[in-house]
Amino acid sequence: MREAKPWGMLAEFENTQTFYKGCEKIRDAGFSRWDAYSPFPVHGLDKAMGLKRSNLPWIVLICGLIGASVGFAMQTWVATTAYPVIISGKPFFSWQAFVPITFELGVLFGAFGAVFGMFGINKLPTYYHPVFTSDRFARVTDDRFFIAVEAQDPSYDERKTKKLLESAGATHIEQLED
Amino acid sequence: MAQRLEMDPVSGRAPLVLGATSFDELTKAVAAPMERTDWRKWWVAFGVSVSLLGLLLVSVSWLVWEGIGIWGLNNPVGWGWAIVNFVFWVGIGHAGTLISAILFLFRQSWRTSINRSAEAMTIFAVMCALIFPGIHVGRIWMAYYLFPIPNQMSMWPNFRSPLLWDVFAVSTYFTVSLLFWFVGLIPDLATMRDRATTKARKIGYGIFSLGWRGSHRHWQHYEIAYLILAGLATPLVLSVHTIVSFDFAVSQLPGWHTTIFPPYFVAGAIFSGFGMVLTLLIPARVIFDLEHIITVKHLENMAKIILLTGSLVGYSYAMEFFIAWYSGNPNESFAFVNRMFGPYAWAYWIMVSCNVITPQLIWFRRVRQSPLILFILSIFVNIGMWFERFVITVTSLANDFLPSSWGYFRPTIWDLTTFLGSFGLFFTMFCLFVRFLPLVALAEVKSVQPEADPHYDPEAGGVARGDLEGATLAAPEVTHA
Amino acid sequence: MSHGHAPRTVAAEDVIIPSGHALAKLPLIAAVVGLIGIGASFALMGDHPEQFYLSWLTNFAFFLSFGLGGLWFVIVQHVTRAGWSIVVRRAAENLMVTLPVFALLFIPVIMGMEHLYHWVHPEEGDVVLQGKLGYLNTTFFLGRAAFYFIGWALFALFFYAKSVRQDESKAAQISRTLRGVAPVAIVFFALTLTFGAFDWFMSLDPHWFSTIFGVYYFAGTTVATFALLALSAMVLQRGGLLKGVVTTEHYHDLGKYLFAFNVFWTYIAFSQYFLIWYANIPEETMWYMYRMEGTWLYVSAFLALGHFVIPFFYLMSRHIKRNRKTLAIGALWMLMMHWVDMYWVIQPPLAHHHGGHGASLSVLDLTTFIGIGGIFLAVYAWRMRSKALVPVGDPRLAESLAFENL
Repeated sequence: MREAKPWGMLAEFENTQTFYKGCEKIRDAGFSRWDAYSPFPVHGLDKAMGLKRSNLPWIVLICGLIGASVGFAMQTWVATTAYPVIISGKPFFSWQAFVPITFELGVLFGAFGAVFGMFGINKLPTYYHPVFTSDRFARVTDDRFFIAVEAQDPSYDERKTKKLLESAGATHIEQLED
Repeated sequence: MAQRLEMDPVSGRAPLVLGATSFDELTKAVAAPMERTDWRKWWVAFGVSVSLLGLLLVSVSWLVWEGIGIWGLNNPVGWGWAIVNFVFWVGIGHAGTLISAILFLFRQSWRTSINRSAEAMTIFAVMCALIFPGIHVGRIWMAYYLFPIPNQMSMWPNFRSPLLWDVFAVSTYFTVSLLFWFVGLIPDLATMRDRATTKARKIGYGIFSLGWRGSHRHWQHYEIAYLILAGLATPLVLSVHTIVSFDFAVSQLPGWHTTIFPPYFVAGAIFSGFGMVLTLLIPARVIFDLEHIITVKHLENMAKIILLTGSLVGYSYAMEFFIAWYSGNPNESFAFVNRMFGPYAWAYWIMVSCNVITPQLIWFRRVRQSPLILFILSIFVNIGMWFERFVITVTSLANDFLPSSWGYFRPTIWDLTTFLGSFGLFFTMFCLFVRFLPLVALAEVKSVQPEADPHYDPEAGGVARGDLEGATLAAPEVTHA
Repeated sequence: MSHGHAPRTVAAEDVIIPSGHALAKLPLIAAVVGLIGIGASFALMGDHPEQFYLSWLTNFAFFLSFGLGGLWFVIVQHVTRAGWSIVVRRAAENLMVTLPVFALLFIPVIMGMEHLYHWVHPEEGDVVLQGKLGYLNTTFFLGRAAFYFIGWALFALFFYAKSVRQDESKAAQISRTLRGVAPVAIVFFALTLTFGAFDWFMSLDPHWFSTIFGVYYFAGTTVATFALLALSAMVLQRGGLLKGVVTTEHYHDLGKYLFAFNVFWTYIAFSQYFLIWYANIPEETMWYMYRMEGTWLYVSAFLALGHFVIPFFYLMSRHIKRNRKTLAIGALWMLMMHWVDMYWVIQPPLAHHHGGHGASLSVLDLTTFIGIGGIFLAVYAWRMRSKALVPVGDPRLAESLAFENL
């Protein structure tokens, strides 16, 4: 039987306003291994948590350029080398006619970059996480907000962290185990 | 100070959800259609849809067995209902992407109660559209010829053909729309997972929600992905119907070869798509008790978009007509006179009355604030747009350059059954959607509520955010130092 | 994120140009420079008036873009009840009130009609052209031009006068009235801009036609206008005005629109080219053949590269759009490319009809640029000086001041 290790603390908040301030407090207290949970994205929470900007746009740009290049190269090769056919008197390298598919493949690969890039960065799917062991946590997809601070964080102290969360406006705090 | 529940008479910014609805009430309202116990009415609707779907399957089976001859195509009209239906369904799909992507880029928060069903409509409409190019090739077991797959004949597709561009464009459109729709669904599927009472639901919703837990570290990247997908979907939707218009416009046929076709087709697609959105949502909001979330204001906004795009279509008709005369090309001018007074004049005038005249009724507030009138109007919009594609396709082919080549096209019963059957596919998918998936983008609707703003202060009467009501009625004073 | 709830206010010194300010002297300086430019142009007309008239028409088309684009921007902001744009709407209103002056600047075009438009004296055997004379004749042409200019002037002055009245009265009713008139104005605008483009630019080659041509000119005007709106705000802020009024958020939005409408221009330009290329019908392709002869091919390539490819990747960046300096470079570049676009649309017939000498810039292009541009700038700067720089009476001003992007 595996020993239940304390994983961290889960604090519940009733509304967006106290939740936002709570995040600012945790950020200012210098925690790094913590997360905030909400039923919808809260505007400005990136700043309140001190998060860095996402790299996803670069991934999308690169994927899009690869897609467009693949599309254009494929058509060029097919139309000039692999299977050259004279269609309506146009030259074999009729680049104008290659534009539509080039564009579409660029968008397609870009979209793959956005979706699967986002899944990759977020490590989705992840079906298990310690916060799911809390019964109250089910309300995170309904109307409640949560902050979870991990015990592994260097600034974590069971008593002090709990007091900090209470002063931030948490209405319920529970310990979570791994 | 503007009160939250009243419409600001100048800004006209109505609250997006009527009645002071909490997040929990929103969750329950959106989840309710999936959690009912009495499914009888649903079974009736599903039964009708599946029967029509059966009609489609029968028609397609007979087509594959007997050949394209069962349709009404013949010389000179080699393109008939198949391409008209294809363009019709693809066009309908475009409204969903406009609502999801373009209105998102324009920061129109009112889109959040309608975008989920509109995107679903897009995916189902594109599925219906893809049937027609698939079955019309004659030997559909050779449809793989359309794709650049190395084969034993060393043959490759003709990349200069607009029909092949369609293959790539519509496939990309289907894929990206599906991805966009799914990404938007993930948080709501998590809501359904957390509300699930049966094991089947918990596992089903659980798998597809990918373990979503509402972590802001995830929301951050999620929001960027959503924004990027919206930014990609916008040019995509414009390009798809542009490429569809190329099917006609790259030819040399009078009535087909005209440079305004790309934006004209796009405007027409959005026009017909919004018609279909209204046709679906006006009954749905009543049936599913969502009238306080999909409000009259939403219907009115959609009606205005119909007016705008209908006017753009009217502008395009005017340009085509003027330039047909101005060009001095007798074939061009004949093509347009022939549309109006030739053998298909009946189709032409149906098209004009439905597309140009009917939408102009939307100038009147009584019309655009009445769900019933809008519903009837939306049916006419779709009838008109089907006839527009019919008129374009058939009149230019039936009466082209040489009178000795002229001929009249008549559809057969199988043209009709295949088209009606495609509605069966559409409504079957929509019934399944309504039963198992949330009709409204729940997380998004919550996020545009005033309470979702971290700086919302109910005492002060609102926030100064760009897209929420709360703008003060009185202009700020100009202070003199 | 806005951190307060009190409606933001504007201070008078931020929105009114003081009388001793450098920008207050601009109208007079610009007018003088403009008159010098016009005078020099007439002086240089010489024995080859065709170049004069084509240069005049090119710069007329270029500067008219701002007047029409301003009118369009104002109407659309009213129809959509937009909140973000209030702080830049007065600049667009100042642009649109230059439209009446363009009626005067049109006079040299009338003077040069027989040099510019071959349908003024059609050949006997030209059956196609004879067929169009019901539309392309001097009387109807002038009548339509009068109709366009009168209509534009009336709508522009109406929207301007009401907006300026609202500065004092702060009446919310004015916003409602303007919102009611705006859709009518849009319909009028769309049709008159289209037929204006047909009359003045497309009929330079009276055998050619394109149903999308009006949309093409329209797309160019939107790009030029967003560029100029951004640059105007920057110039005013450099002059110590509009502090904290036009923020990074507004520049970001102007940059986004500049990007988006440039992509729209590309889409329209490519649609027109591509369909004509593909069908390969000589009566349509000859318009493009003129623009691929000799050195014109380089101008076409430069237009494709500089109006689309480079700005597409440049203006895509969020960082670039949010930085005034980099956005200014982008906006200036787009203005230059819009000029090249007008040059490319209007001037090739000269080269073709005079025995294929390639693309070249004439000193008349410069003097007419200075001439028309000077007058345009004089009127624009005069209106800037006369009233507040933002619509201080607009009920949504607070919303616009506090506006933040995603």
